[in-house]
Amino acid sequence: MKETKLGDFEETLLLIVGILEDEAYAFKIAEEFENQLNRSVSIGAVHSTLSRLGDKGFLISEMGKPTAERGGRRKRIYEITGAGQRALKDSRDIKLSLWSQFPAFADLKFNVG
Amino acid sequence: MDPKPPKIAIRFLTFFLKKELREEVLGDLEEQFYASVKTHTAFKAKLKYWFQVLNYLRPFAIKNFKSPEIYPAMFSHNIKISYRTLIRNKFFSLINIGGLALGMTVTIFIALWIYDEYSYNTNHRHYDRIVQVMRKDISDNGIQVSSSQTGGLGVELEEKFPHYFEHVAMTFYRPAPQLLLFDDKHYREMGYFFQKDIPHILTLNMQKGTRSVLENPGSIIISESLAGKLFNEENPMGRTISLNSSADLIIQGVFEDLPENSTFGDADFFGSMALLYNEDRPYVWNNYNMKVFALLNENADPEAASLAIKDVLKPYRDGDDNPRELFLLPMKDWHFYATNQLGEQVTSKLVQFIRLYGAIGIFILLIACINFMNLNTSRFQTRGKEVGIRKAIGSLRSEVVGQYLTESFLYAFGALIISLSLVYFLLPLFNSFTAKEISFQWRNPAFWLISFGFSSIVALLAGSYPALFLSSFRPVQALKGRLRQGKKNERLRQGLVVFQFAISIVLIIGTITINEQIQHAKNRSTGYQKEGLITMTGSQSVYQNFDVLKSELKNTGAVEEVALSNYPLTNTLGNNGGFRLSGSSDEIPITFNTIYVSPEYGKVTKFELIAGRDFSRDLEAESANIILSESAIQAMGLENPIGKQLSSSSERNGHTTFTIIGVVKDMIKGSPFEEPMPLMLFSTTDPMSHMFLRVNPEVSLGIVLSKIEEVFEEVVPEHPFEYAFADDQYLTKFKAEEQTGTLATLFSGLAILISCLGLFGLSAFMVAQRVKEIGIRKALGASVTNLWILLSKDFGILITLACLVSMPIASYMMNIWLQDYEYRIQIYWWIYATGAFACLLVTMLTVSYHSIKASMANPVDSLKTE
Repeated sequence: MKETKLGDFEETLLLIVGILEDEAYAFKIAEEFENQLNRSVSIGAVHSTLSRLGDKGFLISEMGKPTAERGGRRKRIYEITGAGQRALKDSRDIKLSLWSQFPAFADLKFNVG
Repeated sequence: MDPKPPKIAIRFLTFFLKKELREEVLGDLEEQFYASVKTHTAFKAKLKYWFQVLNYLRPFAIKNFKSPEIYPAMFSHNIKISYRTLIRNKFFSLINIGGLALGMTVTIFIALWIYDEYSYNTNHRHYDRIVQVMRKDISDNGIQVSSSQTGGLGVELEEKFPHYFEHVAMTFYRPAPQLLLFDDKHYREMGYFFQKDIPHILTLNMQKGTRSVLENPGSIIISESLAGKLFNEENPMGRTISLNSSADLIIQGVFEDLPENSTFGDADFFGSMALLYNEDRPYVWNNYNMKVFALLNENADPEAASLAIKDVLKPYRDGDDNPRELFLLPMKDWHFYATNQLGEQVTSKLVQFIRLYGAIGIFILLIACINFMNLNTSRFQTRGKEVGIRKAIGSLRSEVVGQYLTESFLYAFGALIISLSLVYFLLPLFNSFTAKEISFQWRNPAFWLISFGFSSIVALLAGSYPALFLSSFRPVQALKGRLRQGKKNERLRQGLVVFQFAISIVLIIGTITINEQIQHAKNRSTGYQKEGLITMTGSQSVYQNFDVLKSELKNTGAVEEVALSNYPLTNTLGNNGGFRLSGSSDEIPITFNTIYVSPEYGKVTKFELIAGRDFSRDLEAESANIILSESAIQAMGLENPIGKQLSSSSERNGHTTFTIIGVVKDMIKGSPFEEPMPLMLFSTTDPMSHMFLRVNPEVSLGIVLSKIEEVFEEVVPEHPFEYAFADDQYLTKFKAEEQTGTLATLFSGLAILISCLGLFGLSAFMVAQRVKEIGIRKALGASVTNLWILLSKDFGILITLACLVSMPIASYMMNIWLQDYEYRIQIYWWIYATGAFACLLVTMLTVSYHSIKASMANPVDSLKTE
């Protein structure tokens, strides 16, 4: 039975993969993570999580084009699968429902599209 | 220069990273590196790179380092192939396993012996708290350490230091076997007379009675074995036995025998010291005739206790300037304790022996391992095809290695089983030889762990090189039959052979030297005639009837003369100094072996007078006369000793001034390996405890003994008829050395045997390899001699090389060994020559068997196959 739950770090990475589109490879993802969240992370940690997400079926990947700044080596570009999008959506819905039941924040408006 | 990512980090990363991830990861990291170089220093970027690399040490990214899985099927396949190889090459297998088994047997024996030595005394429950009180005498001549103490000390320690000592118990400095009389039968048994607390200190396991019964001086506790001997199944408790026909003791306890390897292991009984001494007698401060043992309190610090008692003797020694300090020797040091002249603890002879034999054991095992390695690698051509096929079918190198290691483990464990059974059957022999009671440690898990651990090490040691060497073949070349062993491998093999034989030759030379040294000391002139001399110890009844006994003995015609002395003939007990030459105020700075003898002593021992005369029967006239030995005269530097006078600081025979009436050749009474001790004989007709009988050489010994026994039965029936021959007693002085000699002979014999086994196999293989060459040479007219020289030459060179290597080592080691002996041989060149020649001869014989066989063979047989 495949694990289909999303962890917090996994969720963030999944979102970043979505944001980066064609540039979604381990180094760029780690960089974006650091920029957006102001938290440092190692490429290895990111890579490890990406490969786990791949195992869960939330990501697919393929080798992209080689570039000069990486010594002519190809990079692995990640892309969110349908299952990945569904998992993100489920996770957001659950959280929203929880947020709306929290009395202290009940009157806050959420700009949800 | 542009900074680049650190090379070592890259190499490390590629080492552990999965192959399929390499490209993307290296790319990502490099991209990041150049990005951070732009914003940070090169050093920081490198550091960051390292950080990233280390962060890839995650399960998902690391290569699968596990060796190919061990499938049970593969494993049993390996064993099957090993077994087939073993059966197919019976000759090689026999040499391999036999050699290994012999080596292991020796090593196990040595290990058991070392274990026995190190477990000395460990049976006592309070092993870590039992101490002996020792003293240090500090003088200009150095520091002397001794265990003899005054009787006052025991009481003092117990009374003044109760916070350190739980129990203190003294015993006599020189314990001796005692004569026990029970049911009209005599038993001479070893026992110790202690103060009452000794059973508590030694935690004797009491089978009957309690540990406190020695509080009553009239009681005695006996060992289980003595109880069995005296009473069989009967209850010994409350029975009375007589000690030395002078006191009756009641048995109030039976203790479990102490193991042989403990200080009091020979004790058959413990008695109370108060019995032998009047109550006040031991508590004196000027007679050092005691040993003091103690049990420390549970919380006492041994070192603090040792320091606290340091100066206890001080107040009791007036007018003696040389400091005399006390210290405690913990039980764990008793067995191995030895000091040098500075009073420092040094490596004792026993520890040296243990190290020596330990080294020999390991070397012999090494020799056996080398056999294994050499025999396996030398068969590379036959095994090469096998390796080629395996690899061609798809075996990994690790699987080929696995095959050969399985083989070597199988051999090693086979050898272990053989050697364990050998040890089991030979252990009684080994025990009787070393006079020990070493037991096979069946029930000791450590023994099995070490046995199997050691065999595994042997298997790895002996198997790894052949395994790595054989598995390195390239399949194509192996199958084409184009395998050539590199020069390097051949050199290594030759080096190992040289190493084997160098060890063997060192051992042989050592053996010859040791045996020569023993023979040398045995041939030494003793200064008296020890053949045909019977020695006995007296007792009260003998003293009372001595004159009758003597004349009766002489009347039989079997005994020529009877003499007495206060000390035995074969030791140097009785040491005194404090003599001055008359007219000189300087004390002679030597200690003499001073003994009292009856006037017949000279006639009985047949000592050799070189000047002056022997004592006469006229005691009145002789009481102020002395006879000295040659070395005593030399030590004093006297020119014409006869008639010179000596004065003594203490009174002897009622005199303090003595006239030298005779000089005798040195009598070797002590160790035959040492310089003779200067001897001084005083004359007396008092009864003394040692009796010497000169046997009539014309009467056969059997008749002599029966006649003597008759006289003893008649005159002193209550005295046990116990005797010894002086020459036998003298021979016991060589026991330790002879044991070393025999062990050395055994070990060097085994070493050369195992080495030759290997060489035998190796030469068989070499000859088999060149069998076609031999055939062609023979067909072309080579003679058997030619061929023999051709085939044996190489080995001859190796052995000669081994001789050259081993001689300086042997010479160095034997010189060290001989330093311990004052009376010793020179190491002559012929000892080396004999050792080397013997070794050369044996190896040439070994090698020649195969080479001559091949040379004699009809060339048709070897050539017809092609």
